[in-house]
Amino acid sequence: MAQVMGKSDLKRIEDGVWEIPERFRPEMRVPARLYADESLLEAALSDRSVEQLVNTATLPGIVKYAIAMPDIHQGYGFPIGGVVATQLPDGVISPGGVGYDINCGVRVLASEARVEEVQPFLDELSQVVCRNCPSGVGSEGEIRLSDPELDRLLADGSQWALEAGYARPEDLTHTEQSGAIPGANPGLVSHRARERGRNQIGTLGAGNHFIEIDRVSHLYDEAAAKHLGMFLNQVTVQVHCGSRGLGHQVCQEYVSRFQKTVHDYGIQLPDRELVCAPFSSPEGLEYFSAMACAANFAFANRQVLAHNIRRSFERVLRGKVQKFDLHQIYDVAHNMAKVEEHQVHGATVRVCVHRKGATRAFGPGAQGLSAEFSEIGQPVLIPGSMGTESYILLGTTGSMEKTFGSTCHGAGRVMSRARAKKTVRGEQLRQELRSRGIVIRAGSMSGLAEEAPLAYKDVTRVVDVVEKAGIGRKLARLEPIAVIKG
Amino acid sequence: MPELFVQAAEAILEMQGQRNGRTRTGRKGNTTTREVEVEGFDRETLLVNWLNELLYLQETKQETCTALEILEISDGRLRARLQVQPGRRGRRLIKAVTFHGLQLRPSAKGWEATLVVDV
Repeated sequence: MAQVMGKSDLKRIEDGVWEIPERFRPEMRVPARLYADESLLEAALSDRSVEQLVNTATLPGIVKYAIAMPDIHQGYGFPIGGVVATQLPDGVISPGGVGYDINCGVRVLASEARVEEVQPFLDELSQVVCRNCPSGVGSEGEIRLSDPELDRLLADGSQWALEAGYARPEDLTHTEQSGAIPGANPGLVSHRARERGRNQIGTLGAGNHFIEIDRVSHLYDEAAAKHLGMFLNQVTVQVHCGSRGLGHQVCQEYVSRFQKTVHDYGIQLPDRELVCAPFSSPEGLEYFSAMACAANFAFANRQVLAHNIRRSFERVLRGKVQKFDLHQIYDVAHNMAKVEEHQVHGATVRVCVHRKGATRAFGPGAQGLSAEFSEIGQPVLIPGSMGTESYILLGTTGSMEKTFGSTCHGAGRVMSRARAKKTVRGEQLRQELRSRGIVIRAGSMSGLAEEAPLAYKDVTRVVDVVEKAGIGRKLARLEPIAVIKG
Repeated sequence: MPELFVQAAEAILEMQGQRNGRTRTGRKGNTTTREVEVEGFDRETLLVNWLNELLYLQETKQETCTALEILEISDGRLRARLQVQPGRRGRRLIKAVTFHGLQLRPSAKGWEATLVVDV
C-alpha cells in the first residue's frame, strides 16, 4: 500500500539536505537522503517520489544512503533523480535503477563562433539540423547495420563511431568512460532489441529528447571555461537522447525476467519495478553486460547525431561564418549503472552505482577522468526545460564524499505529459518562444505542449541546491536560441 | 481470466489507434492469422508480457490487429490467435507496459487489472 509521506517524516541535516532515518521502516537497510530546498522538497512530497526513495533503501547490499537529487520526481520503481550504490560482489543490480532509456544522456558541442554571427542563419541552420537528425517515435536513420557491425557497435560504442568515420579522437576523451562501457557482450542482446534498434542509429526519438542551439550567457569560472575553450556569447549545441528502442527492449526484458529471479534468490521487495539480482550472479552479470551494450548504442547514437550536426553547421555556415566548426565539451549519461570504487565508512569499496536521472560528477583528481579534466573536475551537463536556461557544472570532491560522485541531471517534471497537454496549447507556446527569439522545430504541437516549461521544476533552483551542498559547481549558463525536437 | 487478457489487449490496441479507424489498413480483405505464445513467471508477468508482445508485433511487423482470441491460458503461459492485416506503420505511442502499480484482482464483476503504460 502506498505510504503518504510528509515533511515531518524528514529530519533536516543541514540547509538543503534532508534525511529519512533507517528506523522509518523496518525493511530499510540505510537512511535516505534528499538534497532539496524547501520549495523543491514540497514538490518532491507532492508525488510518490520520496516513498520510492525509501523503497530503494530496502535493496540488498545498499550502502551509506539511498540518495535523491533536487530534481527528483516519481518514476517506475526507482524515483527519477535517484542514486543507489550497492556493494559488490553480492549487492544487487536493478534494471529499474537505470531506467528504460539506458544511457539517456547529454552531449554539448561548442563552436568558435559568436551568437551574432550565427543568428542571421538560424532558421536555415535549425531546418538543416532537423532534416539531418531524424526525430519522432520510432524514427529511423540512414545507417543500415549488418549483424557483425551491430555487434561491433554494441561492444565498442564511440570507438565504433570513430572507426566508421563519425567521430574525432578527441570526442572519445571528452565522453564519459570514453564512450564505451567495458564488459558489454552483444550475445546477450536479444533479437528483438536488435530489431527495434538496428535502424535507429543517428536518431533523436521523441518526448523530452531534443537538440538545442544555445549561446553561453554567463561564465562562473573564467579560467576553467577557457581551459575548455568556452567564452561568453559562444554558440553551443546540446543533444539529449538515449538508446532508443534497443535500450527500452533490454530493460523491459530484464524487468520481466527478474520477476522470477527475485524469488529464486529470496529477495523481497516493496515494488515490482525494483526487481534485481545479486551483481555477481549469472543473472546480474548478464543484465550488466546487456545494459553495457545498450549504453554503448546510446554513446554511438549521440556520436552520429553530433557528426550530422557538424555536417549541418558546415553546410549552412561555410563561407558565411568563419569559425563554425564544433568541438566537443563533454558527453554524460544520466541513466546508468557503473562499477566504481568509492569510500564507504573509511574503506575503499567496489560498488555498483545506479544513477537514474542523476549524473556522474567526478571531482578533480578522481580516477577515471582523462588528464584534461584532472585539475578542474568532470564537466556535467544539466539541460533545463525547453526554452529555459541550461548549465554546465564541474564535479567536486564534495560529490565524491557525499553522493558517490553524483549530482542532478536536469529540471525534473512537476506535471504529467497528459496534464501539460491539457494546460498548454503547443502552437501558442511556439509563438511565445518565437517572440523571445527562439526558433522551434517540433514534430508535433502536442509533443511541444508536453514539454512546456511549466511542466518542469526551475533548473536554476536545482543547480543552486547542488552547488550549495558541494556536489557540483557552476561553470557556465547556456540559453537557447533554437530547439529541435520530435 | 481469459476475458481480462482480451479486454486489456483491446485497451492497448485502442490506445495505439487500432480500434477507431485512425490506423488505416492496407489491402482490404487481406487478413492473415498469427498465433502467438507468451510465457510469464506469474499471472501478472504473463499479462505484461502479453501486452508488450502486441506492441512489439505492431511495431516490427507493421500490422493492424483486427481481432484476437485467447486459445489457452494458465498462470504462466498463454496461446492466442490474432487476425492481422498489413497496415501503415502505426505510431508506437506506448513504449512499454510496466509493472508499476500493477494490480490483478478478483472483483464482484470478475477480474480487474490496473496497469501503467510508459508513453
